[in-house]
Amino acid sequence: MGHQYHRDHYVRKSDFLMWLTHFFLEERMRNSALLAMAAAVFAATSVPAAAANIEGLARTCNNCHGTGGVSAGHSMPSIAGLSESYLKNLMMEWKSGARASANMTRLIKGYTDEEIAGLATYFGKQKWVAQAQAAPADIMSKGKDVTERCETCHGATGGQPDDKDTPMLAGQWAKYLELELMKYRDEGFQMTHKKMIKNARKMEEGDVSIAAKFFGAQSK
Amino acid sequence: MSQINRREFIKALTATSSASALAIPLSACAGPGAAKGGSGKGKVVVIGGGYGGATAAKYVKMLDPSIDVTLIEPNKVYVSCPLSNEVIAGHRDIKTLEIGYDGLRKRGIDVLHDYVTGVDRAKKTVTTQGGKKLSYDALVMSPGIDFHYTGIEGYNESMIEDIPHAYKAGPQTLLLKKQLMAMPDGGKFVIVVPKGPFRCPPGPYERASLVASYLKHSGKTKSKVIILDANDSHSKKGLFNQAWAKLYGWEKEGLGTNGMIEWVKGAEGGTVTKLDAKTKTVSSDFVEVKADVLNIIPPHKAGKIAADTGLVGTDGNNMVKGWCKVEPMTMASAVDPNIYTIGDSCVAGEIALYGNPNANFDMPKSAHIAMTQAKVAAGAIVAKLNGAPVPEPYYANTCYSVVGDDYGFSVAHLYRVENGTFKYIKEGSGVSPMTMPDKSPVPPIYRKLEAEYADGWLRNVMADAFS
Repeated sequence: MGHQYHRDHYVRKSDFLMWLTHFFLEERMRNSALLAMAAAVFAATSVPAAAANIEGLARTCNNCHGTGGVSAGHSMPSIAGLSESYLKNLMMEWKSGARASANMTRLIKGYTDEEIAGLATYFGKQKWVAQAQAAPADIMSKGKDVTERCETCHGATGGQPDDKDTPMLAGQWAKYLELELMKYRDEGFQMTHKKMIKNARKMEEGDVSIAAKFFGAQSK
Repeated sequence: MSQINRREFIKALTATSSASALAIPLSACAGPGAAKGGSGKGKVVVIGGGYGGATAAKYVKMLDPSIDVTLIEPNKVYVSCPLSNEVIAGHRDIKTLEIGYDGLRKRGIDVLHDYVTGVDRAKKTVTTQGGKKLSYDALVMSPGIDFHYTGIEGYNESMIEDIPHAYKAGPQTLLLKKQLMAMPDGGKFVIVVPKGPFRCPPGPYERASLVASYLKHSGKTKSKVIILDANDSHSKKGLFNQAWAKLYGWEKEGLGTNGMIEWVKGAEGGTVTKLDAKTKTVSSDFVEVKADVLNIIPPHKAGKIAADTGLVGTDGNNMVKGWCKVEPMTMASAVDPNIYTIGDSCVAGEIALYGNPNANFDMPKSAHIAMTQAKVAAGAIVAKLNGAPVPEPYYANTCYSVVGDDYGFSVAHLYRVENGTFKYIKEGSGVSPMTMPDKSPVPPIYRKLEAEYADGWLRNVMADAFS
């Protein structure tokens, strides 16, 4: 296998790194001798340049979204472990202007499509950490009723999204979920998911924060 | 070569790829219970435990637990300056802005509550008041700002217990709050703003807004908030004026208007040159104002230890006087490759205010930018100590201002490094909208969301830096 990664076959550093990272993550330490050999061969061919650094870019996201994308609260969402596809679509919709955001639409326009894809991959690979925020029993029982319409796509606790474009809600910050519902319900705020807009606007005003607290209280 | 251990693997890996690929496997090993190092890979000393210094210490340790990290900070509790204006206006308990250093200790960082008295750049050592001498391979200099108490005749440092600056959060914040609460209706709350650059560029205007919010809610509606500004414009000016018109009756610039907030720019007499401390009367060439509560924010410079270490510009060299110049790729000092100068004490980019015709947008002095600078420095230090190439740097800023009930807005900045110089990325930057694209008013939900995000942002920057 060693000769397969001989210098002559590798002109693009990024391809090699992607393979290397992938190999490391997937295969852990198995076959590490071969890996070290491959790395050593590559080292001999590399030229000094700034190293690609998608984790470095991701670290700038941590300021608002928490170390590793796990938010410390409460209006800011955790992004670690949301699906790659959901994250990528969301960012691309902000970039194109299809979807509004009070602030993300500005920053995201400064990133290339490749960087956006890289960020989605990076945060998509992290572990989802549910922040189960305890809610009183009456909120939980009322919440069960008012979130019935959410179940089809998000699952009974919001923790079983039925496809890769549906976000995890269980253990997400309740305040953030409440603000998201407000956005879907506000005609002046341009959102993109028709079904979600329709359902959010069907909710009673007073049920919005109850639904948010119900999902926020779930641990899985 | 049948077996290699983890360290050898990482060494091989970093030879090609730097912290980029390295960060994934290593960060899994960081956190509570992480080894305290001792492999002899390197020693990093961080001076200053604010947002910048705390973040630098944390991320160096997180990216490579085998590096010894020591953070030196005199105070045992840090008080966040961001959102401290809410404390002054009675909207926030100062306890929500306080955080200690146990989170960093749990990560295996040595936190030393001491005061640095000197840095020997030749010997690469740091000396403290407590008698410690620490050697370093890389030093992070993050001392924040110090004040110039000169420039206003009749004003000096001894007066800050009566005339607070409240521009370093803590007792000064509470003192200004107390004075505001005691101010009778019809009183004048005067904010004296220094010539830039100063930390938190929208800070004085956010303060004016929240003081007005307090006055409005407490029924002291005959009172005034007067800003005497040494500058001719300010951060987020359009957004502030729009909010002031909506919330506080703002009409136009200058003294004697009907609104609760009055703003006098430098060219119209905003540059205060004289103080009569007894009567709290401040004056310039054109105006004289007697304050009931006087808040003088003195001009800023880099923290003293940065100057003592020879890292700041002086007259006659090409660095900005009073501030640290940095290498864009790494945040290393322009005069010492072993020292990384981050946060409010540095100037990243060119400062337009100093008359440089080629000036680009310099990075604002904010907690957020200090943290992204710290992360760039941490990545560069870890790469260097591992013999890896410099990682691509990314700089981003987000800065929220809360100006009243359910009313906030922000500015975002993005910078890249191209050909060794900072490049401001206009497409990824800008302030909250003044109007919608079709010129219709911005729906209130936008302002409400950003007021809510300000609080979430605070919780996350505090956690990302200190725990």
